[in-house]
Parts: sequence; C-alpha cells; structure tokens
Amino acid sequence: MTVPNATISSQLMLSQTLAASLEAIINKVLSLESVNGSLEKLGQKTLTLVLAELGFPLSFTVTSSIGGNDKMLLVNSLTEGVDCTINTSIKTLRELQAKQQLTELIKQDKLDVTGDIKVAQQFASFAENIDIDWQSELAKHIGDVATHQLMKLSKKLSTKLNFARKQIQADASEYIVHEQRLVVTRNQIEEFNQSVNDVNLQAVELEARIAKLNKK
Amino acid sequence: MATFLLFSLSELTMSATDHNQSTDTTQTSADKTTHFGYKTIDKEDKVSMVAGVFHSVAKQYDIMNDLMSFGIHRLWKRFTIDASGVRPGNKVLDLAGGTGDLTAKFSQLVGKQGNVVLADINSSMLNVGRDKLRDKGLVQNIDYVQANAQYLPFEDNTFDIVTIAFGLRNVTDKDMALRSIYRVLKPGGRLLVLEFSKPEHELINKAYDFYSFNILPKMGELVAKDGDSYQYLAESIRMHPDQETLKTMLDNAGFEQTSFKNLTGGVVALHKGYKF
Repeated sequence: MTVPNATISSQLMLSQTLAASLEAIINKVLSLESVNGSLEKLGQKTLTLVLAELGFPLSFTVTSSIGGNDKMLLVNSLTEGVDCTINTSIKTLRELQAKQQLTELIKQDKLDVTGDIKVAQQFASFAENIDIDWQSELAKHIGDVATHQLMKLSKKLSTKLNFARKQIQADASEYIVHEQRLVVTRNQIEEFNQSVNDVNLQAVELEARIAKLNKK
Repeated sequence: MATFLLFSLSELTMSATDHNQSTDTTQTSADKTTHFGYKTIDKEDKVSMVAGVFHSVAKQYDIMNDLMSFGIHRLWKRFTIDASGVRPGNKVLDLAGGTGDLTAKFSQLVGKQGNVVLADINSSMLNVGRDKLRDKGLVQNIDYVQANAQYLPFEDNTFDIVTIAFGLRNVTDKDMALRSIYRVLKPGGRLLVLEFSKPEHELINKAYDFYSFNILPKMGELVAKDGDSYQYLAESIRMHPDQETLKTMLDNAGFEQTSFKNLTGGVVALHKGYKF
C-alpha cells in the first residue's frame, strides 16, 4: 500500500501532540493570571511560529468562549489564513519577549516576519506580561505551611546544587588543565601571544638593522 | 494498539432512527436480512439491537473513547482540524458530529462571523453534544441539525468545509452520502473523512485484531457494562473500505485532488478531497 506524502512526523502526530500540550499549559497559565486585558486586542488573531528546529509550524489563535469573556489560546498547525508568521529559532524565541526586542531581532536577521507585525508585537507583549506567583498558586493546593516548607527545601536544594555544580566545574577544570594538560589556561594563551608579539617585534628590528648594514 | 476502536455511536445508531439506514451493514439480496457486524440478522431486529447499543453506552461515550484509544482520538481529530485550513468566518459542517469534539474546535476557530453545523442522524447524540458544548460556553455560532448524510437538508454550495469523523463507515450508501456532501460544499471547499482503515503492516494488523476482539469487548463490559456492543464495533470497522477504495469513492463522487494520510500506522486514515 502506498502512503502519499507520509512522513514520520505526521504518522506520529508530533505537531498535534506538542500543540495539545502547549495549549493545555498556556490555558492553565491564563486561568491563573489575569492577562485577559493584553489578549483583548488579539481576538481571533493567529500568529504562526515556524521554528528552525521543528519540522512543522505552530499557530496560536486567541479566541474566547463565544458569548463569554474569558480568552483562551488555541494551538494547532494551521497555516492558512494566519495574521502573522514568524520564522525563527527556539534560541531567538527566548529573546523575543519585549516589543523593542522584536525590531532589534529583525534587524539582526534572527527572525523573519511576514504579515501584520502588530500581531507579533501584541503576542510578545502578552508573553512579557505573564508573571505568575507560583508560590501562592501552590499554596492554594497544598496549604501555606507545606508550601513554605517546600520552598525552603527547594531553596536549600538549589543552593546545594549550585555549590555542587561549581565544585564539579572546578575539579573538572583542575583535572583537564593541570593534571592531564589537555587544554591551556587563558593566562597561558595570553603569555604565548605576548611571546609571539615579542618575537615578531625582534624580527622586525633585526630586519631593519640588516637593511641598515646592507646600505653601508 | 488500543487506538483502533474509537466508537462513533452517533453514527452507529443510524439504523435505530431510520429503518432505511442500516449502519455499516451490507444488505443481502433477499433484502430482508442484514449484517450486524459479522452476523446475519433480520433488519427489524437490527433496529432495536443498534438502538440498544447506543442507549447502553451513550453516557460512557467520551470516557470509552479516551479509554479505548488512550486519548489518541484527540490527536486524530487535531490532525483533521490542521488539515481543514479553517479560517475565521468559515461555514463548517461537522457531519456525524456525535458529542461535538470537532465542532468545539471549529466553533472557536471560525469565530463569531463563522458558523458550525453539528449534524447527526441521532437526536440523542445531538442532545449529548449540545449539552457538552453549552457547558463549554460554545453557544452562539453553532447550529444543531438532525440529518441523514445521504440526504443533507442544506442548499447547494453552502459550506466551506465538511468533516465526517468516524461516521462514514456507518452510512448505508456511502457513495450517495459523498455525492450529497459534494453538493452542499462551496466551490473551493474541502471534505475531510476521518475513519478507521487498514493498518499498513501485518504486525500491527494482528495486534489490532487481538485488541479488537479480545480486549475491547472486555473493556466495554467493564466500563459500559456492554461487551457485545464493542464486539459489534470491532466487526463493523473490518467492513469499511480500505484507503485506496475510499479514495476512489471520493473521486467517483466528483471530488478533486483527493488524497489520504495514514495515522497510527493506518489504523486511521484521513481522506481529503476538494470541490472545484
């Protein structure tokens, strides 16, 4: 049996899986945060992201319960009838949170925008406005005391992990640079560069002296 | 493997509401008997049997779909939405729409200027779908129509998109239904048929059979308290045309640029065709 245009991605429905997960997460966030105001202007507008790392587009449509006020985001892979399309990479996307960043990134050729740029700016502004107090959200589910203990524990763990990370980094550096001598330090490179410059200078001086003697 | 047996009872109940519409059956030359899955029975018996199936599992419809498919039916439906090219302002017909999964998404995507018609031959399923969608706050741009796919009660060139998900296999005269759909589509409109199909590989096919005939009825017995209905479902799926045959049927009905995409190894296929 032939399978026209079949791809692994479509067979596994990766885009649909990712879209469903993103949609659930984003709408959960929307339910926690009063960001509906910033979504007001985006009613029924669609922004499509074409990320270099993914083999499919992701479209975000702001919609509301018809007749209701609550805004929600629908995520899918529709590419027809979109208001704005951004071609970029995940790395650049992280920087795309402020309106001014958008223009800057376009200038740097890190992203390509087609369609209504205002839609992209409004989406960027919406992303920028999201600021959720996770601690109080958690407290609603497990209580103040448990949340406090959990946050304390996570802070402690974070400090220890941070310390461990630095320690491992230092040990690894020591092993590679001094014990195995696989790489050189920055100082050694600078010292080497300086020596090369000195030799170069001496060679130039010597060349000048030879030229002077030849003239005589 | 558990994805195989999504149960579209809304269509399964066709014969329960219309004596002329047996579900996925093939009528015998005697014209007095018909198939109920693999069994040959009197047509009159089938009406009550299918109605019984529906009444038995209707309340568990969505739960069973999720359970039997491990939720993958939601991805199949998302795939259908993605392939629809729906835009704000479009008019969409969700044929055999059942409990309105596709309608819910379409309703949000077409917006206030658009319109979605959730059509099903069975009024009970329409009621279930309407209640569900109203609970979600989807009220203003959805119409509910009790309609037979073979005789769609709409004017010519009405819809931008027509979808029929897990419904076509239960229509008695599929060719007639496809012609009827073609008629109501606008020029430039597209039809999407999401339906169980033939797995591409023998290994999947065997696993599919094992699941369908051994696990599914037990699951139905346990959850919906009705193993026989799910045995029937498994049998009905086997009688549906394979991918190439259905594509040819779309061609014959007048659709152009017809194509299909296999999903989950061909357990389900999405057929697409345009009216120009």
